[in-house]
Amino acid sequence: MILKARWSRIFPCYQRPDPHPEISVLLMMSYLFKGVSLHRYLLIYLLIAIGVSGGLSAKPSWPSEADRIAAYRERCQREIQYYVDLTDASNPESGSLFTIAANVAFGENIEWARERLRTVNNPPTGSMFWMHPMVLAMYAGRDVWNEEDIAFIRELWRTYFPFRGDTENHWLMYYASLYLACQMFPDSGPEAWYNGKSAQENMEVAKDYIKDWIHVTTSYGQGEYDSPNYIEEYLRPLGLLYGWVEDPELKELSRMMIDYVLLDFVVENLDGLYGGAHSRLYPRYAMRPALTAATQHAWMLFGLGTEQHNAGNIILSLCGYTPPAILHRIAWDRDEAYVQKELKRTRWRLRHAGPKAFEIEGRFTIPVYKYTYVHPDFMLGSSQGGLLQPIQQQTWSLIWRDENPLETANTMFGIQPYSNPLEGTMYFVSDWDTVTDLIARSKVDYDSPDKLEGGSPYEQIYQHESTLIALYSMPNDNRFPHIQTLFTQDLKERSEDPSGWIFARGGPVYIAYRPFAPGEWRPVDWTGLLKSGAGAWFSTNFDKLAGKSEFYVSESLQNGYIVQIAPVSEYKSMSAFQSAIKGLKCDFSLHPKPKVNFTALDGAHLQVKYDGDFLIDGKRIDYSKWPLYDGPFSKADRESETLEIQHGGERYFLDFKNVTSSTSFISQQ
Amino acid sequence: MSKRNLILLLTLAWPLINSSAQKTDTPMVLFTAMMMTKAQQASSVPTDSGVLLRDKSTGEWLRFGPAIQMISSATADPSDPDTIFLACGNGIVRSQDGGESWRLVTGWRESDVLQIAVDPEDGNRVYAASAWGVTLSTDGGDTWQASNTGLPEYFSKNIAIDYRKTSRLLLATGTGLFESRNRGKTWKRITSFPQVAGLRLRRSESDPDLWICGSEGRGVWVSTDDGKTWKATAPALKEANIYGVAIDPFEADNLAAGGWGTGVYLTEDRGKSWEKARGKLPSDNITSVLFDVNVSHRIWASTFEEGTYFSDDFGNSWTTAELDGAYVQDLGFLPQN
Repeated sequence: MILKARWSRIFPCYQRPDPHPEISVLLMMSYLFKGVSLHRYLLIYLLIAIGVSGGLSAKPSWPSEADRIAAYRERCQREIQYYVDLTDASNPESGSLFTIAANVAFGENIEWARERLRTVNNPPTGSMFWMHPMVLAMYAGRDVWNEEDIAFIRELWRTYFPFRGDTENHWLMYYASLYLACQMFPDSGPEAWYNGKSAQENMEVAKDYIKDWIHVTTSYGQGEYDSPNYIEEYLRPLGLLYGWVEDPELKELSRMMIDYVLLDFVVENLDGLYGGAHSRLYPRYAMRPALTAATQHAWMLFGLGTEQHNAGNIILSLCGYTPPAILHRIAWDRDEAYVQKELKRTRWRLRHAGPKAFEIEGRFTIPVYKYTYVHPDFMLGSSQGGLLQPIQQQTWSLIWRDENPLETANTMFGIQPYSNPLEGTMYFVSDWDTVTDLIARSKVDYDSPDKLEGGSPYEQIYQHESTLIALYSMPNDNRFPHIQTLFTQDLKERSEDPSGWIFARGGPVYIAYRPFAPGEWRPVDWTGLLKSGAGAWFSTNFDKLAGKSEFYVSESLQNGYIVQIAPVSEYKSMSAFQSAIKGLKCDFSLHPKPKVNFTALDGAHLQVKYDGDFLIDGKRIDYSKWPLYDGPFSKADRESETLEIQHGGERYFLDFKNVTSSTSFISQQ
Repeated sequence: MSKRNLILLLTLAWPLINSSAQKTDTPMVLFTAMMMTKAQQASSVPTDSGVLLRDKSTGEWLRFGPAIQMISSATADPSDPDTIFLACGNGIVRSQDGGESWRLVTGWRESDVLQIAVDPEDGNRVYAASAWGVTLSTDGGDTWQASNTGLPEYFSKNIAIDYRKTSRLLLATGTGLFESRNRGKTWKRITSFPQVAGLRLRRSESDPDLWICGSEGRGVWVSTDDGKTWKATAPALKEANIYGVAIDPFEADNLAAGGWGTGVYLTEDRGKSWEKARGKLPSDNITSVLFDVNVSHRIWASTFEEGTYFSDDFGNSWTTAELDGAYVQDLGFLPQN
């Protein structure tokens, strides 16, 4: 009881399960609707109260708001307790800053935390990866740290000069942490800080960056978009800000941005697995989507999947954030298939920006057109191909529903393994001759012919619902002149048909794969790089994860394939599915450039040629009109700085320009 | 001689193009801006980084300023040796007391700075080349603004001020050399230089008409008409990426160049004929070369992760100056405080 009381006192945002949500709504509305006439006020209250108390008639099966929040809070408690339980209080040489934060938040192992705070910072390392857990520990232990501790902490901030990093997650972590560290000592002068700026000066710069990132993201899309790994690196700083920033504008913006990032995730999740095309993904997570940070967040935030923990969840637990009910419902609602379109952008291109580049306040980028078909049984998603990220890009992927995804490689994807200083210097400051080497110091698979992720300038992807077409045109001197498509060990009934189609079943879906050029089967990671453990944590256990999975590898420079997915439930048997596929019109040629005419299972006639237009039933797809968000649950126009989230009869509207959010309800037919 | 002219004359003795230190009586000390990458395993972070000064008497390298990751260069104000700028990933860090204290003087927009130049006539005018383009200050570095008009892409590696006419600047970018005649307000391409990255730009101290520039993929280029027109030189290096070029402050006919896989090349006739240095270095991957301003004809060369060396016999033999494991971004001279 004492500990819980302490928690509430330390974290004013934190709310225990609310036994009377309708009263909370009343209180919230009295704040939000100051000045609104009484009868309108009561009408709005009635509508919202009906909604939060589970009265949305469209989905009577949803938990009541009180139950949902209670369950969420219980998971938050377990998250923190998990890290407390990991603590070896007899060993001051072990334990992260996150573990320290969890302990001091719960009032546990205080003396260990005090000692560990010193040993873990001898010396401080990691730049922004040091800054943000340090800030968490500072605020989580605000009532615990004594004068000596505070003096020690201040000395760290005076003497350790963290690097701001080279990408947006780094910068957001850096500036959010800097802001909050300075906020704790707001009157401190330039002598108190490593960079010689006063607390107020640092806060001003940091706030300006954070607002700019929000402006760019809500206008043109996220640069490190839809990353099942790096979603955590965005939620961490946003959670920190929401929990402890005192500036009301930043607090509201950070809450809205958490909602924004989570919406981005939940519309492309299947049981907590992040599907579709991804900006960044590490190899072991490409093989096992259920292991990603996104899935761990999905468990804690929405109760999806199996209990898994990560450090980002500690921040979300402690910061007091509660995901809106509408996100919970979208995360769970996979009753009907839908198409999700999203506009993103590449990371900033420093060099070789190319003719498709556009400029945003002195920075160059190109649009990323994402298309995802979300089906109750599977998700097939893609981006257009090309060098959209410097490393780790997953251009397209399929995932399917599986009862035990932690033990299953329930995924499929294709890649043209590309490694070139052109790509490295496009996105990094490094020199032409060292950039690949330096990338591979930490992302060891980058320069490997059997790598599992990465973009290629010779890859073009087109998608219509459950049909995907990939075309490739490689020059002779390409470093790794082949393409490869993953067929995991968890696929069943894999067969190569004389017609040229390769068939397989992944859980509840049938897969048809039509290569345009001959290939051969090779084990995943046929150089043994990852299986041997190179790459440290991101190849941990890779041997087991890859198992007997194989790549279908083709070395034809002009190349391509069709992937056609269908639910098992729509066919009597694999044989029936095969017959249906073999009956489809499929004309392709590879020279001089690949092109294909294909009639998909749903009857759509798809025509495309490399570097050419994509026609569906004769109509050209106009990418210039691609929306920022377009799907049944989300709408946003390019440069709108807004996001409309919908589910059932509820509409939740985020307006970043005016820093407001609102909920309304529309009648359901 | 007027005071103004005296100051101008004195400023000629200071480094005008980043690390291209000038022959001078003012005590100068060799610096390196480097990061330790050789021991960097399974990590994106070098094991150490920052600016180091070489103690002339002991040969020991001593830290100068904060240990900052991704530091590219250091530059002193020619009119005030106590004012020093560090070009860093985080932005521009300035000292106004000879290195006793430091302050990050830029905001978040001015980052990934690669090199800085200070107007020798007016220390308030400071120019920086960065991965995001050119940024300039007119108040000694207190405030900064972007200045990229005329540049097709902004990535800029080196910037130099024409000390005979300080409104004129030369800029080495990712797409070639550019010139400004209005203190960086607008930029115009120097068409005789290829449209490839200029990696290292230096000017002779004794012959202001002589410039040299290393390029990405197109070797070494020289100008003998004050940077107006450029010609390729060193045919053996014509397709190389040249990261280091230098002109001897004691004898402008002596040039040096080095790049990836090339070793160090030298000429004693302004580039009419080049020869590879006979002395063997542990690696032919050269990241920086420099002529000494204190010791006549001494040449410095840094290899990628295999140490920094000097030669007093025009490359016939090399002596180690340590720094094994370092990725040297720049070698140069700063005033000895």
